[in-house]
Amino acid sequence: MADLRDLGNKCTCPSRKFPCKHVLGLLWLNAESIVPFAPAETPAWVSDWLGRRRGTSAAKPAGAAAPAGEKDLRAARTAEPEAAEDPKDAARREAQAAKRNEETERAILDALDALEQWIGDQLRLGLSGFIDDATARCRRIAARLVDGKAAVLAGRIDELPARLLALAAGDRPRGAVVELGKLVLLARAFRAAPRDAEIRRAVASSETRETVLADPQAPHVNGHWEVLAEQVQTRRDGLVSQTTWLLNLGAAGPRFAMLLDFFPASAGRRGSVFTPGERFQAELVFYPSQQPLRALLVRRDAAEETLTHEWPAPDETLSHALTRPLLAEPWTIDVPLLLPQGRIARDDAGHAWWRSADGTDTLPITGSAAGLLAGTELTRTAAIWSGNRLTILAAQTPWGRIAGHD
Amino acid sequence: MTEAIRAEAITAEAIFEAMGAVVTRWTMGSAAASAASFWNAELGDDPVEAELRLLALSGQFLGATVTTEPSSALRVLPDIPALALPTVPETLRPLVRRILAASKDAASRTETVHFLAARGWTTHPADWMPDANDDDAPDVYAAWRDWAAFTAAGATTRRQTGDQLTAENWEDFWPAARKAALIGLRRRDPSAARVLLEAKLGGENADARLRLLSLLSERLSGDDAAFLEELAASDRAPKIKALATSMLARLGHGPAAGEDVAELAGFFSVKMKGLLRRSHVIHIETPKTPAQWQRRKALLDGTDLMSFSGTLGLSPQDLIAAWDWNVDPAADAGLIKLILETGTDAQLEQAAGIVSQHDATGLIVALAPRLAPAERARFAAAGLRTHGIGFEMAQVIAGAAARLDDPLSAPAGAKLLAELQRDDAKPSDHVAELHALGLLASRTAAQQTLQRLTGAGLLQGDPRLDTLRLNAALDDDGENP
Repeated sequence: MADLRDLGNKCTCPSRKFPCKHVLGLLWLNAESIVPFAPAETPAWVSDWLGRRRGTSAAKPAGAAAPAGEKDLRAARTAEPEAAEDPKDAARREAQAAKRNEETERAILDALDALEQWIGDQLRLGLSGFIDDATARCRRIAARLVDGKAAVLAGRIDELPARLLALAAGDRPRGAVVELGKLVLLARAFRAAPRDAEIRRAVASSETRETVLADPQAPHVNGHWEVLAEQVQTRRDGLVSQTTWLLNLGAAGPRFAMLLDFFPASAGRRGSVFTPGERFQAELVFYPSQQPLRALLVRRDAAEETLTHEWPAPDETLSHALTRPLLAEPWTIDVPLLLPQGRIARDDAGHAWWRSADGTDTLPITGSAAGLLAGTELTRTAAIWSGNRLTILAAQTPWGRIAGHD
Repeated sequence: MTEAIRAEAITAEAIFEAMGAVVTRWTMGSAAASAASFWNAELGDDPVEAELRLLALSGQFLGATVTTEPSSALRVLPDIPALALPTVPETLRPLVRRILAASKDAASRTETVHFLAARGWTTHPADWMPDANDDDAPDVYAAWRDWAAFTAAGATTRRQTGDQLTAENWEDFWPAARKAALIGLRRRDPSAARVLLEAKLGGENADARLRLLSLLSERLSGDDAAFLEELAASDRAPKIKALATSMLARLGHGPAAGEDVAELAGFFSVKMKGLLRRSHVIHIETPKTPAQWQRRKALLDGTDLMSFSGTLGLSPQDLIAAWDWNVDPAADAGLIKLILETGTDAQLEQAAGIVSQHDATGLIVALAPRLAPAERARFAAAGLRTHGIGFEMAQVIAGAAARLDDPLSAPAGAKLLAELQRDDAKPSDHVAELHALGLLASRTAAQQTLQRLTGAGLLQGDPRLDTLRLNAALDDDGENP
């Protein structure tokens, strides 16, 4: 938009040139009378912008607005009555927001159609070809999803080849079926309930911090937490994600909490607020979900003596813990687990496995698990199960608490 | 009820069996819906839709029920054994971790580990563990080195370990534990240790033989001469021959003086000085050409202290006493090397004493590894006070834990304080000096030093003070040097 009185302008593009090419184009269209600019009602965002512009607003002629007389602190303190909002304006804004929402939804649904089409193509062309060319193919559909406003899903598909290539070659077809199957389930779930916050979080974008804090449905949990580990990952989209895993040492509430933070990689490495192993009392608010996991830190209390708290015992059987999350959210990738007593074992090829003390359960482990982790009893282990590999976050041992994979 | 469960079990089994065909078909690129007939109702009639629905169902089924099984029997590693010394207190572990993480190389990490061991502590295995081949690690970690060797070797049975090493149970010990046991035996009963080596050395490879043989330098005596002579004459490896010859020379069994030594003597002459108390002084002739410099170095490298002093008509002690230090650094270095490799302990100490009076600290550094810890600490303190060397150099002389009282009052301390207080001081200045100071000081001195440094404007949490802070906080239960 542009203000013809003083050629002030604003555009939604990220260009740092003022005026940007869009504004220049607009002014040119106006100057040459190429398209008719019919006077119409000022849209709300234009009014907003005009209202924020300093000094030039016709409503505030210089001198007239500032009342003569000395500046008075009391006058500043008296609350000015908020300008009564024009009900028409409010209604219009709401309608526009609803329209925008609808457009977004439409775009996402279109993108999901494209995704399903793409998945069907992969099946028709053969998964062996897909596995060989996963990076390029996923890149293309991810770009389409970004255009279709399904940014979170796009990020997930961008990371898919990496997860697939981490598998043993013989296990990749199965891995591809699981990954693609989850995408179909997620797409169908979105179609069935496009307004569901949880599903939207997995497809398009997360609610803002303010929305979650204001949401009466969001569960608040006040408890003792231990910082299990911190995972820092540079994603393909250039953002660095910093994931902090917390363990609830108390009896009530969700067992794990995940604090997620993003910042641009160009900002450099960021110092952490948390140290693994640190314990504190805090109130967390969880994003509303069937199985609350992602959370925000609302209040952190002064440190107190909580060192005597042992890690709680796992409150369900391992097989239950592995499959229950898949019933509620079949598209879930990472499941945090609290494992019972066990230890690390190696097979002949040198791959590491976690084995329960009674020998009934074995789970393959990411990496080689060297040093102390492999050389002692693990009385409790906190780990992340990603469908085919276990990433150990931290463990309790006779040597005390030790960190898992770094 | 039972039937229902059985029916369900059969279905799951059937699905599982069909999954093989389904995944194979998709891998090849053909439709798979016909291979999952039990889901006919769920898949519907539209063939494209059916494939997608089958994909969703199969993905969920495979994701929830199929996990990888180990292809072979699993092997559990034995527990990491507890060491003879306690691990550092829990509260100090973050500090130790930070110091270890800040160490740029393995040598500097080893320094910290030796410091802890000298003070009576070991690291927590989650913070630091030696490799199997980490010969520089303190002996107290032998059990962990063997654990690492055991892990790397993929062995399945654990060998027995005991305190007493004998020819019979030699094979029951892993290398690091064997080395530690042999050192212990050598200290208690030198000849028993030698007899054991005579019996077992032939069965080891050259590298192991070299490591084991070097242990004989502890309490080396004339009793060992026969064994060493045999090795010097008949061992297969040149390195072992050289080591045995060098040890023999330390015992005064040098090779007969030959032409080479006579040629070497031509570079030096013995003169008398003083009017009343006449004494010898060695005059070093300056070589005239680069070729002569080279020749003199080669000759010095090829001889031993006994032969060299003999050709000059002096005893080794007289040679060391009469040497004109600080005139010809190359000749000094050559003589020090001779003393280090072929001199007796007494000659070494004598040389160290004289060198330390002559302001030649670099030479002390070379001699330090063969000196007793208390001697090393003494020379380091003397170097700090009288010759104005820096803390880094003093630390190299003193070794892992010198427990010096009040090192900060030495000239190096005053200089350090002055530089830390300069206006343009940077937070990364003098890291090495402060680190070395932390390793040198006694616990009390470390506490006082910390106070003085923070008083001088350094921050309490300054990472450069980590070693000092560790020293100040660590109970000193170790042996005194």
